[in-house]
Formats: sequence, structure tokens, C-alpha cells
Amino acid sequence: MREIKIAVVGNPNTGKSTLINALAKARLQVGNWPGVTVEKKEATLKVGDYTLAFVDLPGAYSLSPFSLEEKIARDYLFTERPDVILCVVDSTNLERNLYFVIQLMELEIPLVLALNLFDEAQKLGYQIDIPLLERLLGVKAIPTIATRGEGIEELKSAIVEVYLQNKIPNRLSYGEDLEEAIDRVRLQLLTLNPQLEASLLYKGLLIKLLEGDQELISRLNLKFNPEEIKKYLQHIEKVHGEDIESYLTDLRYGLATGVVRQVLHKPEIRKITFTERVDRVLLNRYLGIPIFLLMMWLLFKVAFDVANPYVDFVDETINGPIMKWANVGLEFLEAPEWLNSLLLHGILAGVGIVFSFLPVIGVIMLLITFLESSGYMARAAFLMDRLMRSFGVQGKSFIPMLLGFGCNVPSVYATRVLEQERERKLTIFLVPFMSCGARLPVYVVFVSAFFVEASGTILFSLYVLGIGTAILLGIFLHKLIYRGKSSPFIMELPPYRLPTFRDLRVHTWMKLRHFVIKAGTWILAINVVIWVLLNLPWKPNNPEESYLGKTGALLAPIFKPLGFGDWASTASLLAGSLAKEVVVSTMAQIYASEEERAQEETLNLIEDLKGIVFNFGAKTKEAVYNLISTMGIATLQVEEPEEAKGLIVKLQEHFTPLSALSFMIFVLLYWPCFVYGIAVRAELGSFKLYLQAILIHTLVAWLVSLLFYQVGRILGF
Amino acid sequence: MKLSDLKKGERGKIVALNLKGALKKRFQEMGILPGEEVLVERVAPLGDPVEIYIKGYHLSLRMEEAEGIEVEVLK
Repeated sequence: MREIKIAVVGNPNTGKSTLINALAKARLQVGNWPGVTVEKKEATLKVGDYTLAFVDLPGAYSLSPFSLEEKIARDYLFTERPDVILCVVDSTNLERNLYFVIQLMELEIPLVLALNLFDEAQKLGYQIDIPLLERLLGVKAIPTIATRGEGIEELKSAIVEVYLQNKIPNRLSYGEDLEEAIDRVRLQLLTLNPQLEASLLYKGLLIKLLEGDQELISRLNLKFNPEEIKKYLQHIEKVHGEDIESYLTDLRYGLATGVVRQVLHKPEIRKITFTERVDRVLLNRYLGIPIFLLMMWLLFKVAFDVANPYVDFVDETINGPIMKWANVGLEFLEAPEWLNSLLLHGILAGVGIVFSFLPVIGVIMLLITFLESSGYMARAAFLMDRLMRSFGVQGKSFIPMLLGFGCNVPSVYATRVLEQERERKLTIFLVPFMSCGARLPVYVVFVSAFFVEASGTILFSLYVLGIGTAILLGIFLHKLIYRGKSSPFIMELPPYRLPTFRDLRVHTWMKLRHFVIKAGTWILAINVVIWVLLNLPWKPNNPEESYLGKTGALLAPIFKPLGFGDWASTASLLAGSLAKEVVVSTMAQIYASEEERAQEETLNLIEDLKGIVFNFGAKTKEAVYNLISTMGIATLQVEEPEEAKGLIVKLQEHFTPLSALSFMIFVLLYWPCFVYGIAVRAELGSFKLYLQAILIHTLVAWLVSLLFYQVGRILGF
Repeated sequence: MKLSDLKKGERGKIVALNLKGALKKRFQEMGILPGEEVLVERVAPLGDPVEIYIKGYHLSLRMEEAEGIEVEVLK
């Protein structure tokens, strides 16, 4: 059994991820690249006696990287040297795609082209002479339609075939001068590095030396004489009157254009495409922005209206039947009282609150994935660029910001598309002001306690306040710290395409998994720690005497001017600095230990299961009804949840409406969660930006809450 | 004439790229090369960036960079 290592590459928007999803079926492994937390997707397949091990590299336009993603692709190809390269090509845009293919051929590794979107090319009336293309380039080319899984089997056998034949792509001639310079560099390297095999001195590498790609060269540990290389270079630049990079680009494009002229026949008159017709409306001078705002409003309406009944469902199921049966089980096992309390009140209740918001975050992520893979997100970036530049970021920052309303953690990873370090950092810094799903439990409980009538307005205002704060702080930081010009905005506007279900499922899960993993690990651990701190020294008469209570009381004066300086809310905020979801579960733990709930319930497993199924049906009905019943966001009208009544009564005792608002504002703005910090460290290499964010965000939160509370008091609320 | 001077719906032929370094290279790699035909598809509602059609696909770039691309107008 031989393993064939295959790197999957291609320009962005060629359907590469659809193709890899079709290749891998459900066997896609998601990991991270060493050093950076860019998702590394791998899949292995068995074909006859061979194991095909695919590595999905980030989309790239060139092997001279412009963004972090392209750098990863380049580094992998040059340093790992896969056995076969599979390049996904957009058949409707052969020329620009072949420019990249020509660069890949320089690597002198067997190459298979997937001529993807073949159906679209046919619809446009394009005819591609595939055998001629294969002959001219010395590669295998397979027409594919990834969305329908067509051409996948042929692709697999082509990979094995080029591997067995060790079919190296044709070495195209780059002109006498350049070829001579390349030969000289080769000779020089062989003399200076006698241990090197000649086959490792492929054209691509020699050209990199000529181009002076320092970053890559230093990683390859080669001895070379830069002075002499400079001399070859000067010769070429003098003869052609161009710098080497422009000369190379011209040359490669010349080759690509030449090939396309021979293999592609397309109709004389270009038809106006579907995409162009749609864009006349969606990017219209007057309608573009209103339609964009409408889309965003729809996104949130669908997310809240459809997901909220399921939030109740998860919550009711965990706090109802699951809690009850866990309790029965623990009693049956004669578990000690402390264990029972830890498992039920510490873990199950806490993690339950977090998981119950999974539907909202899931729907937001699903809709964003849909907009992304349909091609609309590129348009959103196009529309928003001018506006976002005024606060120091750019159009492409829009996607990470929007993702932030689901969960801030995938937002951090999504900033990879930003080319400039400064913009990337600023975007990451501002993302936590986008009110993520984890903050919803806090709002929901407080809104139910104080503002049942105006719930929609209050929630909406909080979201707007977060965005407003981000804009103001963005302008401020842009002027003071992250100064400098915005990086250039070069972005392809891909044709609109309908994403497949498999793609939606896979990519939604990629975004959602951060939240799920977080809930299952960190949030669980934090809840245990809080339970311990709340119950030590063992069995305090009064929770205020516990370690948590004492710490809360100690720090409470800081929050006095904001209107909520009691020990319980301070302790909850402390816990919430690790993850905001924990604020409510901490309060619930604190108040639950003040007053143990006594319940007498009947035990009937069948009835409970029936109840769960029935409840699910009822919630689905509610979701559909919400969606169609009103133009407004129906579920923002929060009804008082039964099971949270105890907590709500307690909150009404400890807060006034004004201090409750001040508290919600503080929770919205303060201390970005710990998992966000881990993501920042993974992406930027240190905790520095996270520490800055903790300081500045908490300070901003304190000031805004202070201002709000004091002004509110003066106005007599 | 500069690419940024072209109005919506106007076509031009690229004459030269007055840009520098990595940015110039990226533009070239995206197919913005002397001799190439370019169509200004539209300007974004807020006045920037612009969308162009080149080498059979749609690309957006800012006015600022479009100023660095010299074109001659095609009728």
C-alpha cells in the first residue's frame, strides 16, 4: 500500500472546496497548520492499491504571496514537495487560471488539472480542446462539475496515473536570456551545495533565487552567492528594460495567453451573464446600499425568529427531563451530595445555558456561509469598503465583523484574508464589540426581569451600541495608533453560484465548531472552578462567605458608580471575564445556593421522551409562525421563561431598571473572552493584543456604563 | 488618460502601470497588463471602489490605485 501525497491548489472562487468536499465525502479532517491557526483540511482515500492523501491548500492567485493564505500555499509547495499537485481550474476563466498553472509547472511535480465549472463554460459556449491542452502543458486535464460530483472518479485515476508515470510537466522555454541565467544559478548552487541532488533544483526554485524571494530562500537553507546572482539579474533587466518581476509576469502571461488561444474557442459576442444582470440591481447606485441593509436585517430576523424557539427547546430539555433523570441516576448511584451539586448545578446547568444558544449561533453561521459561498459577501465588501476605510479597516474586514455576531472566535481566523498586518490587528481588536451569541443569555435574563414590554428595542439598541463603540474606537485608534494608509483593495467579484448542501454543512460546522469546543471544554472547566469557589471553605452558611463571595465583595466598590456594586454581580462579572456566557450561569449558581429549589416530579421515561418530541414539534411550528407573522423581529418580544423565575425575582431585588441596563452595557463591552484570546495568540503569535484589548475594552465598558448610569440618574430614572 | 478617469460603461486599453513593488506585481498577476482591454462596469454607491471587467472576469479596485493605471479610451 503506497501513499500518494497530493496538494490541492487553485485560484479562489474556482469551486476548490466544493471539489475537495466531493472527493472526501464525509471524511474531511480539519486540523491546523503548524505555527499559524489556518485551518488545514486533509482527507485520505483508497484507490486500488494506493492511499491518496489530500491536503487542501488555501486559494491563491500566485506563488508570489500577497496574503497570509497565499504564503501558506507557497510554503507548503516549496518546502514539502508533494508527490502530485491537483490544481482546480475555473474553466470559464482559463487565462488567469493558467497563469497560476504555469507557475505550478515550474515546480516540476506531476500535475493534474481539474477543469471545474465545466458546465458553466459550456453554457457560455466555450469549447476547450482538452487533449491539446494536455499535450501543450504535459499534464492530465479532467473536466469536472464539483457540485454534481462529475469527473471525480476520473480525477482519482488521473492522479494515480501521473504518479506512476512520474509525469513531469513540460519545461516551457522562458527565452534565451532567462534560461541562461537559470542555468547559471543551477550551476552555482550545485558547486556551493555539493550534497544537493540535481532534481531538487527545479525551475521554480531557481527563479525564486533570481527574484530574490528572501523569506522563502532563508527557509530552504541553501548556500548561494547573491552578488553573482545580482549580475545575471542586471543583465536581464538591461536587455528587456523591465524589472525581473514584471518581465516574468509578462512572460508567464504570454505563455498562458498563447495556450488559451490554441485550446479555447469562444463565441465572438459576449452574452450578458446572469451575474451581471443581478449585479445591476444588487450593486445599483441607489438600490445597492438599501438592499444590503435589508439583507442584514433579514439575516438577523431569520436567525432570531427561527432559532429562538429551538433555544427554548434545548433549554427546556436540559433543565427539564435531562436534569431530572441525571438527578435520579445520581441518587440511584448514591452519589455524595457534593458531587450531585457539582454535576447538576455546576456543570449541567452552566453548560446547558451555553448550549441552548447554539441554535442562534448556528443559524447566523449558516446564513453567513450561504452569503459567502453564493458570492454576495464579496459584494458586501465592495459596498462597504469606502465606509469602513473611514475607521481604519477595509471592505474585506466586513466578513469577520459580521461573523462576530455569531461568535468572535472564528472572526479572528477570518481576518486572514486581510493583507495588511495593521488592518488585521485593528479588525481583530474591534471584533469583540460585535455582540456575540454568548452575550445573549445575559440580555435575555435581564430583559425578562425588567423590560418585557420594550425587549426588542433594548436588544436592538445594545447591538447598535456595540457597533457604534467599535466605529468610534476605530476612528480614534486609526488616528492615534494604527496609523497609515489602508492597504490596497483588490478583490475578484466571482459569479453568483448556488452553494451545495454539503458545502453549507461543512463550512457552517467549521465556523461553529469553535463555539461547541469552547462550550464543552473551557466553559465546563470554568463552571467547575466557580462551583468550587462558591462552596469553599466547605459549605459556607451563606454564599457571601465563600471565596467567590469574598473576592466579589472586595472588588465590588469598583462597580458602585456604575450602579451594581454588590458582591454577586461583581463575582459574576469576574467569572464572565473568562467567557461571557458564564455571567448568567454564575448568577444562577449563586442564587440557587441561596435558595435550593425543591421539586416533586413524577418519573416516567416514556412520557418525558414523548414530551421532548412534542415540544420539538411545537417549537418548529412557532419558528415558522415567527418567520411569516410579522415584518419585525417577533422573538425579540421576550416572554418570561418559567424556569428562570427564581433568578429573575432575585435580579429584581438587586437591580433597578437603570442599573440593569448599565450592567448589560458593561457585559456587552468589557473583557473579550478567553477563547478569543487564545485565537489571537494563535494568529498573531503573542497575547499582546489580547492584553491590550482586555485593558482598553474594560476601560471603555466602565466609562460608557458610568456615563450611562450617572446621566440616567440625573435625568431621574 | 487614467483608468480612474473612465466613466461607467467606458472601455479602455491599458498602456502602462505606474505602480510600485508588490502592488504592481499583484495587479500584473491579476491580468492588468499593457495591451489588455478593460471595461469600467460600475462605481460603488459611495463613490469608491470601482468594478472593472478584464480578461473575462470582474475585479474591484480603488480609485487611488486606478489612478496609477494609464489607459487610452476605446470607442
